[in-house]
Amino acid sequence: MRRWLPDFAVWLLIGAGLFPLYWVVIASLGPESRLFEGRSIIPTAVVFDHYRALFEERDFWIPIRNSLIVASTTTLLAVTAGALCAYALARLRFRGKTTILAAVLAISMFPQVAIVSPLFLVLRAAGLINTYPGLILPYLTFAMPLSIWLLVGFFRQLPAGIEEAGLIDGASRIRTFWEIVVPLSWPGVTATAILTFLYSWNEFLFALSFTLEPERYTVPVAIALFRGQYQVAWGQILAAAIVATIPVALLVLIAQRRIVGGLTAGAVKG
Amino acid sequence: MSRAQFGLCKRAGCVALVLAGGIASGCGGASDGRPVLTFSGSAVGREAEILERQFDRFEIAHPPWRVELRSTPDSADERRQLYVQWLNARAERPDVLQLDVIWTAEFAAAGWIRTLDDFAPTVVDFFQGSIEADRWRGSLYALPWFVDVGMLYWRTDLMPEAPATFQALMQRADDVMQEQGLPFGFVWQGARYEGVVTVFLEHLGGFGGQILDETGQVAVDSEEAVRALTYMRDAIWIHNVVPPAALTWQEEQSRFAFQNGQAVFMRNWPYAHALMQDSRDSRVANTFDVSLMPAVTGGSPTAALGGSHLAINAHSAHADAAFELIAFLTAADQMLERAQVAGQFPSRRSLYDTPELTEALGLSARAARQIIERARPRPVTPIYSELSDILQIRLHRALSQQQEPREALVEAASAMRSALTRAGLDGGTRR
Amino acid sequence: MPQRLSIAESREVRMAWLFAAPALLAIALVAAFPVLWTFWESLHRHDLRLPWLGRPFIGLSNYREALADTRAWSAIAHTLFFTATTVSAELVLGLALALGLNRPLRVQGALRAAALLPWAIPTVVAALIWRFMFESPDGSSWFADPLAAWVPIILADVWKMMPFVALLLLAGLQNIDNSMYEAAALDGAGPVRQFAFITLPLLRPAIAAAVVFRSLDAFRVFDVIYVMTGGGPGTATEPISLYAFTALFRELRFGFGSALAMMVFFVSFLLALAWIRLLATQESVT
Repeated sequence: MRRWLPDFAVWLLIGAGLFPLYWVVIASLGPESRLFEGRSIIPTAVVFDHYRALFEERDFWIPIRNSLIVASTTTLLAVTAGALCAYALARLRFRGKTTILAAVLAISMFPQVAIVSPLFLVLRAAGLINTYPGLILPYLTFAMPLSIWLLVGFFRQLPAGIEEAGLIDGASRIRTFWEIVVPLSWPGVTATAILTFLYSWNEFLFALSFTLEPERYTVPVAIALFRGQYQVAWGQILAAAIVATIPVALLVLIAQRRIVGGLTAGAVKG
Repeated sequence: MSRAQFGLCKRAGCVALVLAGGIASGCGGASDGRPVLTFSGSAVGREAEILERQFDRFEIAHPPWRVELRSTPDSADERRQLYVQWLNARAERPDVLQLDVIWTAEFAAAGWIRTLDDFAPTVVDFFQGSIEADRWRGSLYALPWFVDVGMLYWRTDLMPEAPATFQALMQRADDVMQEQGLPFGFVWQGARYEGVVTVFLEHLGGFGGQILDETGQVAVDSEEAVRALTYMRDAIWIHNVVPPAALTWQEEQSRFAFQNGQAVFMRNWPYAHALMQDSRDSRVANTFDVSLMPAVTGGSPTAALGGSHLAINAHSAHADAAFELIAFLTAADQMLERAQVAGQFPSRRSLYDTPELTEALGLSARAARQIIERARPRPVTPIYSELSDILQIRLHRALSQQQEPREALVEAASAMRSALTRAGLDGGTRR
Repeated sequence: MPQRLSIAESREVRMAWLFAAPALLAIALVAAFPVLWTFWESLHRHDLRLPWLGRPFIGLSNYREALADTRAWSAIAHTLFFTATTVSAELVLGLALALGLNRPLRVQGALRAAALLPWAIPTVVAALIWRFMFESPDGSSWFADPLAAWVPIILADVWKMMPFVALLLLAGLQNIDNSMYEAAALDGAGPVRQFAFITLPLLRPAIAAAVVFRSLDAFRVFDVIYVMTGGGPGTATEPISLYAFTALFRELRFGFGSALAMMVFFVSFLLALAWIRLLATQESVT
């Protein structure tokens, strides 16, 4: 009897997790009239009206472009600078390491609402409201500490003494880092990059506060601020939701093991 | 270079390309080199259509300008939030903004809109209440574009005449709901936004109360106010005449309910009139009419004075052209056209003496003018939105039965008084 | 007595600071400095809509106003309620899923990916999905009722974050040595006793980690409620972050809003310290 209980629990919970997504996909592919009345689990008609309206009438590719640019640049900067910093914290010896690590960790937990207003005032004075740098810089608030934290975990797992091999050969520390450590920790670096990209893609509060025009909205903001006729355009919103989910869904499916490894390495040590 | 490093370079290269492409497509001014005036306002229903038409005429009359409509949410509150965000961020665009009548004082005092005094427009033809709302500290900051008044919409096929008292309204709604099987008796805008304040204002006036008394002091905790709010709440939960869902409805949702024949009465602005006369979408075309909101003895039928005004962004780079656009849109011809297409009441008094307006609106211009001249404005103060927010929250709590009306209104009044004191405006509204 | 570093060691120290500098500088600039500014701002009256009042220093007045503000207390109560319910639900369901996945399964990878999907979705999208699921065209509305409105909110958050908790716990479970279970089985202990006396105690660090981590996130909740109810009906579902945001960007009361934001910060900071402490003790144990 007990044998099927774990199976049942797993399928139930995962099924419950996937069902809303399935429901939304069906709704987004159905005609407008079927959104609320005559809903059925098995789709009866498949129409792409909502998706077409999404890209033709609403230019949804614009927020997609914005999100891609902001998330990619943030990830690039955070992982590069973060890797250097994490390496120093994980593998080099100097005083103050633990304090710095604790501080970085604490900063990654700052509530965004606590720093959004000074960031706004500074960005406004610098004329960066509604620009890409105006999002990328604030995004580093969480992207940088996140990268450092995850990469410290990965660097620590590297076998001790690999640097010595390089140093004995006369290479400088930077070259050792670049040519020995980085390739070895590639799984960790990619996991970090993926997670950083995910968090940046999904970010909402800063994007809401620092962009003004649809030209610069990111995907979450664009969806949240869908305008139009009062009867909320659910068909298009759901289509947009699916479109917004596809890149991250792909990432998760492709890199599931890396992501899980990253999360657990960072969160539960030992 | 190792394979991993090559991989990294390839990734970096890709990102750089995307960046470059993104920046390139992000930059760029007007696609054909003409200077652009950006207009921001409501484009609900027919408004978009009439705007495009009038912009085209403006462009022909004022080369080389091009006018672009920047869309905003349908909800006035959300539009205001967007304006606040743009103007607070010192954005250059939009150049011309359509403001709700209650925002002008606030935006003027905050330094977000430009004074129109240097353009010296003539203002005698506009309605008194409207133009007064556009002044702050003696200067003029906006011009009235169209006037809104809250009205009672009623079904002519289900009753001989509109009810004159709140009791009669309740009774009639109940009777018709039972006889005809309509799901809703009376629909109004009860979501937690400015709309619920206007609906409350009309009930309040009908019961003999006011938001600010003659000396400018807060009066929402009066007995009349408690009675009015209690009436509204009971209409939902005791008499079942107003649907609970109305507590999430704004203008359009209540319009759809009435337009689909599901409601006996509706409270809404004039814009709904033209839309519901279109028999293609409306099931009540030709079977409804408008009248004043009801009252009780001791009160008077009250219409909330709303309306839209046009102002210039203080940071706009094209102030002169922006004023040209405002002058154009507020000219009599354009106003008449708008009345015809969108059913909105012009803000120029002289138009109400013309038969063209009656024809354009589909209802008596004289009757409309009477309602407008008796309409009650909301307090003209820079902190109106804060006062309204305070009131909205308490009203909504009382209506959703989270709080008793008396308690809610006493709290609201006290919070409103503190807000006025904090802003240094407790001498009543400071002009 | 600190020892003097050798030349090689001091070179290493310099290298370390060089490596760490760019990231630390960026963090200081965009995170640390702004928090100090917010704190400084919270000591002033600064209303961007009333420029004629200037920006006078008023000490702790904003905090006193916040502590006397029933809306602030309600917001905190809402936040605590949200935190307690979502974290408990995520813990229970996450544990169930983790236990279910803690077996050699051929499709383990696919199952984990499928389970993880809701977590990867933007919170805004999750909120809209659940808003849609609870939207009905007739007169009744979950979102018009102050208590009922919490149901879709909590469901959306639990739906999204439960997989994360499950994976955390799964990692913890996989660290438990199987031999312990075998020994217990030999002693005649059934699955329930094994769970109570082996699994739970050994899983405590992972559970503690999940609880603190999720509590920290839940306390800062913003996206899901902003998109789903905007804090309504009235302010019945408004968490403290949303109130602070409203005060800052809708009412433009930067001074008061900053005080509210600092309150969120203080609590988050305490939770973060607890989190760091937890990690440190774990490290010293292993």
